[in-house]
Amino acid sequence: MSNLVRSELLKIRTTSTWWWLAIGAFLSIALAFPFNAWLAHETLGGGGEEFGVTGDAASAPAQAANLYTSGQYLGLMFVMLIGILMVTNEFFHQTATTTFLATPRRTAVIVSKLIAASLLGFSFWLVTTLIDLGAGAAFLALNDHGTLLGEWEVQRALLLNLMAYAIWTVLGVGIGTLITNQLGAVITASVLYLIGTQVVGLLFLLLSNWLDSMAVIKWQVIWPAAASSIMITPGENEMLPAWWVGALVLIGYALVSCVVGILITRRRDIS
Amino acid sequence: MSDGQPRPTNDAQIVVSGLTKQYRNVLAVNNLSFTIEPGRVTGFLGPNGAGKTTTLRMLLNLVTPSAGTATIGGRRYPDLADPLRHVGAVLEASSAHKGRTGINHLRVICAAAGLPRQRADEALALVGLTPAAKRKFKGYSLGMKQRLGIAAAMLGNPQVLILDEPANGLDPEGIRWMRGFLKGLAAEGRTVLVSSHLLSEMQLLADDVVIIAAGQLVRQGPVDQVIGSMAQGVRVRVRTPQADALTTALAGGPATVETDEQGALLIAGVDAPTVGRAALAAGVELHELTTERPDLERVFLELTAGKAGIR
Repeated sequence: MSNLVRSELLKIRTTSTWWWLAIGAFLSIALAFPFNAWLAHETLGGGGEEFGVTGDAASAPAQAANLYTSGQYLGLMFVMLIGILMVTNEFFHQTATTTFLATPRRTAVIVSKLIAASLLGFSFWLVTTLIDLGAGAAFLALNDHGTLLGEWEVQRALLLNLMAYAIWTVLGVGIGTLITNQLGAVITASVLYLIGTQVVGLLFLLLSNWLDSMAVIKWQVIWPAAASSIMITPGENEMLPAWWVGALVLIGYALVSCVVGILITRRRDIS
Repeated sequence: MSDGQPRPTNDAQIVVSGLTKQYRNVLAVNNLSFTIEPGRVTGFLGPNGAGKTTTLRMLLNLVTPSAGTATIGGRRYPDLADPLRHVGAVLEASSAHKGRTGINHLRVICAAAGLPRQRADEALALVGLTPAAKRKFKGYSLGMKQRLGIAAAMLGNPQVLILDEPANGLDPEGIRWMRGFLKGLAAEGRTVLVSSHLLSEMQLLADDVVIIAAGQLVRQGPVDQVIGSMAQGVRVRVRTPQADALTTALAGGPATVETDEQGALLIAGVDAPTVGRAALAAGVELHELTTERPDLERVFLELTAGKAGIR
């Protein structure tokens, strides 16, 4: 198995794709961090109401958590794309033949892709988090708020974000095994991720009005991006289910897509 | 790893038995059985769509058979302990990531199969691709892609080589190189199974042939035997202005005479000197006197007549 994981990591290192996705992750930090820093500065200065940032979300720990996870909204999408490309590249470039000749045990191949993708997802989380921690701590300390790294709410946000990276990477591999057409998989996954909580939230609001039931709103958690957002958003909200419901839904998607993907891959004719 | 040459053993025998593949609308391979022996080059021949590629892919566990078995050394491919050290396969020329260099393509396979990293360099040298090692795959010519595929197949120094249309895209020099290379491997006692359309090339390369058409076995055996088994053996081709006189002179003997489209006589049953003597005795003027041997192409076309084409 370690041979296979090494081979998968070598596959990633010997093409330029991951490099482009890393650049994308850095760019999204470069865009998001200044914005989040400005938002934290305004909110902690007492001007949060202008932007609709009030209550729990306006507290110093919540703003610090937001700052320390800057750019990771798109970062999550990039690790998911890496997971997808690790599988669909094999079909797009017809290397599946070579891969399955070297290792006819197909389950082992997919599992080693999952392990390699998770290692890569962890590295993306680690590097982006270190950048955010450095820049965020410096910004907060210079503005006399202290680093706030001792706050449980901040630590919780970092850990939940790590969990999000892990799950979306695995989900990416799962989607790749289910939709081997590269373009189809990338588009499907991007839609699942980017058609964000606002659009889905609105749809469920309309649905709950129509059905005259408030409980229906909470069901938006079945949409993966909504589940992800519910999982990493701190604080209670009577409109939304608890964070762990989001986590369970997302883990469910990842597990089901991988198990079904492995079963399909075992039976698939490679031609 | 040493370059010790494997001895011919039953470990390298390929046995296909009752192999069948039913796709949704097409019976691609129909109850196919044959055996491939070590130490020989076997040509796997058939018209387009005959099921050659599907058969090879079933042998390598890439396609699941609907019925029947295909084994190498008595085991199914996925049951081989170390598949790349046992079997090397070249299936399609374009099977590498376009943005990856040739040497890295081989290193990825070495890592997956647990082969030492320097095997990648050795295999690249074996096929003469060392100068292009660090070039990306998209910059390779078709011939270079074929050589890279062969290098990949040779990484584990296998006893069994399986190649699907390896001569496609090779220039004459490349084809001659491939012929020498494959004959050399067979001479070392390895099993070499090569599918191809290029019948004249196969006649030079193969010791045995397996001919299939429409998913079924048509003929199997040593090339000479398969050619010799045809009804039409050696013929003598004669052009003469006095065809009738020559036909009369040969009448009563073992000779049978036919006329081809260009008006030349095709005489079977006697050899060229006999025809020449008969012509001289009868005072018949000859413009051409040639011995025509049946070749693999003629035999192939006769055996597969009416079974080719799109199914």
